[in-house]
Amino acid sequence: MTNLANDFGVAEPELLDRPEKRGRLGILFWVCVAWLGINIFGAIFANVLPLPNPLANNYSAINFGPSLHHLLGTDELGRDIFSRIVYGSRISVSVGFGAMLIGFGVGAPLGMLAAYRRGLFDQIVTTLMYVFLAFPAIIAVIAVLSFWTPRSLLKIILVIGIASIPLVYRVIRAATLSMGSRDFVIAAKVQGATDRRIIFRELLPNIAPVGISFLLIGIATVVTLEGALAFLGLSINPPQPSWGNMINESRTLLSQNIWIAIFPALALCLFLLSLNYIGDRLRSYFDVSEVKL
Amino acid sequence: MSDNAPLLSVKNLATTFETARGEVPAVGGVTFDLLADETIGIVGESGSGKTVLARSIMGLQPRTNVRVEGSVQLDGTEIVGASEAELRKIWAVDVAMIFQDPMTSLNPLIRIGKQIDETLRLRLGLNKSDAKKRAIELLDLVGIPSANERYMAYPAQLSGGMRQRVVIAIALACSPKLLLADEPTTGLDVTIQAQILNLLDQLKSDLHMSMVLVTHDLGVVATRTDRIIVMYAGRIVETGTTKEVFAQHRMPYTEALLASTPKVSDASHTRLNAIPGRPPDLLKLAKGCSFAPRCQYATERCHNERPELESSGSPSHLFACWNPLPLPTNRTASSAGSEA
Amino acid sequence: MAVIKYVARRLVLMVGIIFVISVGAFYLIHLLPGDPATVILGGGDTPQARAALYKQLGLNRGIVIQYFVWLNHVLHGNLGTSFITNESVVSTIKNAFPIDVEMIILSQILAFAFAIPLAMRSAQKPNGRLDKTASAGSFTLLSIPPFIIIVFLVLIVAVKLKIPNTGPASYVSIGQDWVVNLESMVLPAVTLAIGSFVLYYRILRSDLISTLQEEFITLARSKGISRRRIMWRHAFRPSSVALVGTAGVNIGGLIAGGFVVQFLLQIPGLGFTLIDAINLSDYLLVQGIVLVISVSVVLINFLFDFLITIIDPRIARD
Repeated sequence: MTNLANDFGVAEPELLDRPEKRGRLGILFWVCVAWLGINIFGAIFANVLPLPNPLANNYSAINFGPSLHHLLGTDELGRDIFSRIVYGSRISVSVGFGAMLIGFGVGAPLGMLAAYRRGLFDQIVTTLMYVFLAFPAIIAVIAVLSFWTPRSLLKIILVIGIASIPLVYRVIRAATLSMGSRDFVIAAKVQGATDRRIIFRELLPNIAPVGISFLLIGIATVVTLEGALAFLGLSINPPQPSWGNMINESRTLLSQNIWIAIFPALALCLFLLSLNYIGDRLRSYFDVSEVKL
Repeated sequence: MSDNAPLLSVKNLATTFETARGEVPAVGGVTFDLLADETIGIVGESGSGKTVLARSIMGLQPRTNVRVEGSVQLDGTEIVGASEAELRKIWAVDVAMIFQDPMTSLNPLIRIGKQIDETLRLRLGLNKSDAKKRAIELLDLVGIPSANERYMAYPAQLSGGMRQRVVIAIALACSPKLLLADEPTTGLDVTIQAQILNLLDQLKSDLHMSMVLVTHDLGVVATRTDRIIVMYAGRIVETGTTKEVFAQHRMPYTEALLASTPKVSDASHTRLNAIPGRPPDLLKLAKGCSFAPRCQYATERCHNERPELESSGSPSHLFACWNPLPLPTNRTASSAGSEA
Repeated sequence: MAVIKYVARRLVLMVGIIFVISVGAFYLIHLLPGDPATVILGGGDTPQARAALYKQLGLNRGIVIQYFVWLNHVLHGNLGTSFITNESVVSTIKNAFPIDVEMIILSQILAFAFAIPLAMRSAQKPNGRLDKTASAGSFTLLSIPPFIIIVFLVLIVAVKLKIPNTGPASYVSIGQDWVVNLESMVLPAVTLAIGSFVLYYRILRSDLISTLQEEFITLARSKGISRRRIMWRHAFRPSSVALVGTAGVNIGGLIAGGFVVQFLLQIPGLGFTLIDAINLSDYLLVQGIVLVISVSVVLINFLFDFLITIIDPRIARD
């Protein structure tokens, strides 16, 4: 009866409103992937690449505009901006990936386990996580970093990573919950598959798309946060370059040399844009609703 | 308008969805007339295009990715191709629709009284207190007890049957000439179904409305319609007076549909005659008769050539079939697959 | 009834969260390397100051007792006196807090004023010209952090166009001259508004699109009422639950975004004061600001949760 009631015209509009659903990822997606690859490559091999020393002052070449010799010009101390940006990417890349490694390393297994096991374990962990989730994470990070001196890259990664655990936990738990009641999981349970097998063979591959797109967007968020911290002078200290502290240093010199601000800002924005775009495309490709993330 | 001109005249109405996978001809050329005070039943399985037909008659189809062709004249006004602004003038006042699922068709965050009021105030220009008075009368009319208090209720506070009565009250608010009832009882309990149908029947004759009753359930239309249209894969496959369709149907699909409806006279544990196979994929319609793949009488010709609607002798009774069933007088004598 | 129960449950949770926050804020002091008293007192390490600090924090007792000594002071509105500025932490916060409130209110007015009408128009024609442009634009803005936006806004508006009272250090309190105050608030408010706008626009647009596919919208259309009325009366409210939830959560982010803006423009709000205090190693002030901001964020979240149950009472029932 109910099946018959589901007449053609009722279900159809939904299908119609998304003509591009499950289409291809598009050229822009691959451009972003390539850009991300270049950034990561540069961050890893910065000291192997033929780049000028990012810390070397050159008073005969102060505030130069872009030229063949200095690809993106030089700053107020004559340091090569391109080289500083490449070295600066090390901070963003390592904080982004490092913090998310901690966040996913702890949050994802906990989230999967809680959603798979349910019961008391789930209740306790979830309540705990929600308490921390209500905690304004950014303020907590700033507070801890300002007291836990001296600051180092490792401490920054650790603090941001721990702060991201509840967020990762919530996303992965929700994704697992929605999978756990799907027919194929129930079928596997009925057939007597071990928990291990169900988690790794059935659940993991299906949660992976949600996880990956959230991972990319999470990295973007963390990189933004590190940039803001650096801007406020709470991250890696100069002269060691990072995108955030380069922008911070540039702000007093804007009227003299606009390039010092534009290039690191551009580098950061393009990096974030690639991450966000890849994450967003993957999300709609795998048809994960925005609300879940 | 002269007395015998039809209230509703549908000619070659075709509705096509443009989807990512191709064009879907949900309604493929439907023609019929409806006279004032008449009730017509549109019957078919899920996916036969009957809901799309009802919405196309009303002009309610979304405008993007949907193509509506042909003509629908309601009391002289053309609906196909009319702008939404033009349609707004006739909606509710000339033609109203009763929606299928009362659980989803009422706004969950607006008091039901306000949902009825809205039409009265904005379309009939009633002031606030008159609209409220009239809305309560309407709630009373559709059989909602203590209408005064229910006026302030939210949909979630009402049962499914009560909600469907509210939906009916909204449709009746401006006393439309034509009522399109799209599966008005599918979402409801069996006991409530009869109540709602009887209510509709009575309101229809009290308020002198014409009605198009869309349903998959032949039992619903048997006693409440003047004529019946049987649809399959977006087309009319048989139409006639209710009596003709029930007693003298010629199209094997109609027979199958009738056979799949349980009857009280059946002995208990009688097996239901489900129609074998599934409704066709509208994206890949065969060039012949759409029902041929499921039809036990199908011949080579049925698969290759599409039959058009033809009269069976009675001017009101049309069917589209190459191998129609014989008329009841000699039906018992003939065997399956015989030529008519 | 369900609403009361829901609110009561939230209230209990909120008290729990505030308790955790207080423990966290209390413990911050002990993250300092070495003897906290020495670090906090810094150059002003006199016997009297040391005694005052020990009294304030109960430093010579066990850590659990310390917490309650501290908490007792906090509950009596005493966050200590800065050993750097010799000003009471509470009065410093009292002076700075209204600036943040003003900034956030202005930015939210701007964000909603643009996001709501634009989302309404976008959702009426998904994948139309306007929708595509607005979606692509908002997506790009999503990837530009506030500290970059404010740097370039200052560069263009204050430095290049030389519009008065928009550059760094032009802040004047609202009591002193409200016109100049508003002028100096333009860039901060716009910067914070951009991030919120993007968020609100995207959420509301996608919720509106799914609401517009609901059957009750088709029924509303069949009543022959105007498109405008369908959008505002029938579609907006059911689509605004996630919007309000996001706005509540976003406030925390706004305060942090406010840090950056205040830092650059030297607006003496909580953010500026906080960074200043961190750089001066004024740890009692840092602790006080962290506590006040965290508790405010939690209170705001609670308020918005409550707002959601008013918009859609069904939420409370689940």
